[in-house]
Amino acid sequence: MELIIIKDKLREGLNIIERISSKSLTLPILNNVLISTNKNFLNLAATDLEIGINWWILSKTIKEGKITIPSRLLSSFINLLPNKNIEFLVRSDVLFINCENYKTKIKGLSADDFPIIPKINESDFIFIDSYLLCQSLNSVADIAVPSTTRPEISGIYFLFQKNQITITSTDSFRLGEKKLLLKNTTSLKKDYSLIIPQKTTKEVINIFGEKTGDIKIYFSPNQIMFEYPMPETTHPQIQLISRLIEGEYPNYQEIIPKKFTTQLIMDKAEFLNQIKTASLFSGKVNEVKIKADPKNKEFSIFSQSAEIGEYNSIIPAKIKGEPVEIAFNHRFLLDGILTIKSSEIILELNTNSGPGVLKPVGDDSFLYVVMPIRAS
Amino acid sequence: MTNEELWQAVLAQIQLNISQANFATWFRGTEISNIKEGTVFVSVPNSFSKEWMENKYNKPIFKTIHELNKEIKEIKYNVEKKLSPSQDIIAKAPSIAADADQMDFQEFKINKDTNLNPRYTFDSFVTGSFNELPHAAAIAVSKNPGSVYNPLFIYGGVGLGKTHLLQSIGNEVIKNFKKKTVRYVSSEKFTSEVVASIKNHEVEAFKEKYRKIDVLIIDDIQFLAGREKTQEEFFNIFNVLYENNKQIIISSDRPPKAINSLAERLRSRFEGGMIADISYPDFETRVAILKTKSQEKGVEFSDEIYQHIASVVQKNIRELEGALNKLIANQTLNNQKPDLETTKIIIKDLLSSPSRVMTPKKIIEAVAEFYDLKEKEILNVSRKKEIVHPRQIAMYLLREELKSSFPFIGRKFSGKDHTTAIHSYKKIVQELIKDKKLEEEIELIKERVLTI
Repeated sequence: MELIIIKDKLREGLNIIERISSKSLTLPILNNVLISTNKNFLNLAATDLEIGINWWILSKTIKEGKITIPSRLLSSFINLLPNKNIEFLVRSDVLFINCENYKTKIKGLSADDFPIIPKINESDFIFIDSYLLCQSLNSVADIAVPSTTRPEISGIYFLFQKNQITITSTDSFRLGEKKLLLKNTTSLKKDYSLIIPQKTTKEVINIFGEKTGDIKIYFSPNQIMFEYPMPETTHPQIQLISRLIEGEYPNYQEIIPKKFTTQLIMDKAEFLNQIKTASLFSGKVNEVKIKADPKNKEFSIFSQSAEIGEYNSIIPAKIKGEPVEIAFNHRFLLDGILTIKSSEIILELNTNSGPGVLKPVGDDSFLYVVMPIRAS
Repeated sequence: MTNEELWQAVLAQIQLNISQANFATWFRGTEISNIKEGTVFVSVPNSFSKEWMENKYNKPIFKTIHELNKEIKEIKYNVEKKLSPSQDIIAKAPSIAADADQMDFQEFKINKDTNLNPRYTFDSFVTGSFNELPHAAAIAVSKNPGSVYNPLFIYGGVGLGKTHLLQSIGNEVIKNFKKKTVRYVSSEKFTSEVVASIKNHEVEAFKEKYRKIDVLIIDDIQFLAGREKTQEEFFNIFNVLYENNKQIIISSDRPPKAINSLAERLRSRFEGGMIADISYPDFETRVAILKTKSQEKGVEFSDEIYQHIASVVQKNIRELEGALNKLIANQTLNNQKPDLETTKIIIKDLLSSPSRVMTPKKIIEAVAEFYDLKEKEILNVSRKKEIVHPRQIAMYLLREELKSSFPFIGRKFSGKDHTTAIHSYKKIVQELIKDKKLEEEIELIKERVLTI
């Protein structure tokens, strides 16, 4: 293999690819990045056997070939090189790198032992604005937690429909649901509902979050692929392919309350600020109490801890329904409030032992269900 | 040669030619799922394995299989189990909701097909003399569903572990017999399913669904009282299952005899199997329960604290747990174990909370509900026998529990004379001496008053 490539483009690709390479004791080659040539492109590939990434860079190929190189080492080394053209040369599992005054050789492993990243052929696909998708994903993706007992809910649930994408995530204490309305009806032949590993969604946000324009999503029974085109040509620049989590996502619509017994509408910044302050006094149990009475135009927030002291404050609000006193874990409340962008926020409660719902005013696309702490 | 042996032969051959790491990564969880018309279908756990097999090992695999079976022309690989090769490396995330009082979405825990909550098992069920019989029957049924004790009818008061026992049977059956279909359903759910199936003209589909069940568990059957159409459907399903030796397990808060407005034919069916009652746990068992629950929650208190709780909370295991939760909350808040004095105060608060106090209104409501009557009927002047008896019990409870004056009681019931109230009270007192059943009934009603 022999080729010449621009340093900045190589660096960009390696920095992303490097994150996927995993430390594997059983299969050490997973630490490596696969470098191969394909006509006028250099292809970088890495996988942890859950996610696979392919990255293409336009390059001047002199002689075709391939090799795998430890990705951390290569990435750190390339980062330090001057912003000049780089020359790659492979001679029997050794990569020679020449860049201006720098000359290196790095020992690699044969490309033959590198896993083959699966491909998705002839499948249904949609185009979607990458920024919008990542924004929506970002509002719920952090809620899920790894779980060996319930793998289904450790992932993020996606429902792709003709004109809407619904993204849902839960850790069984709270649940976030974000709907993304599509301006143009997609060409999907049917609805797709699938569970994507949380790690994949974080990589998607990381890789595509700053990109402009559309990404293309391909569906298959076991895999999903996100593809982003190269600015200069029609060839893809990035492909991220991930396994899906097997199983059926719980019918979560059942837990979203359709009614409420008490409704509070207040200024979001004020609410956020007071919950944050109350959290300082909530001690180990993370408990903050909310006490509201529709007779008043305000409600109170209270927290206490034996070692620290007490906190008490009031917030002006519009209150409807029955009087209520309810306790929440402040971290759960804060996660929900922080995701909401509107200036006013709605909190709907269902007595002190039913689920509470946080949602923005004037926007039906997001809601956050949170379970209280049992009244004592 | 079986498919299994054929694949073993392949694995034996392949392992000689590749590294141990590659062998373990790519061949784990693979097997031949089917052989049809010269094609071998190999199931692989994920897409990576599939690609690797197709592109790297197809030749040697084919060669080995072909040597053993000349008819094989082709090998196809399918992803079937979809297991991730790195699934065993999932790290346990630190939970930010370790607090026992944080509530969660119960719906997520329940198995969709069986409606069972996996939390309920025999292991976490504390036994004592008060529940030995139902427990033994439950174990026997879970080992041999359909052939012993059919139907199994378990009854007992609120919060004594009926649901726990019923669900444990279900979970145990699933564990022992993978192929049996188990379904747990509350009577309320069952009723609403019947109503919905009639409304949507899907009665046949509804019946079909229930006829396929091997173990049917119906909780709180007393709620079927007075619902004739539902009882009829249940009777039909019951008969089909019973005739086919399918297990039926039923719970109720009282024995079949004491369930009012239950069709006679259903009652006799229930009495045809095994009837076991859960009575109140004795003092030692209550202490044992508290210790077990503490262990589950990872806390420990002194014996005198357990004994104090057990001596005060006597009739409801759920309340025992509630008292324990209170103590734990107190401990986390104050960062020190509560002593006996603090415990006494905490438990006293618990027992005097408003929901625990009896009121005339609650008593009348509970009596009406228990006998499946309307409150108005009890309060009016009707002299029908089926109303007079409940009314007398209501009067007895007002006197006995609330120490209400007889004139007050009389006025409550459409201005009856205080002598009527005295007569009613004395009558029930007399009957109680002779009739053990009545005593049970009154206990049940008292419990109800406290849960309204």
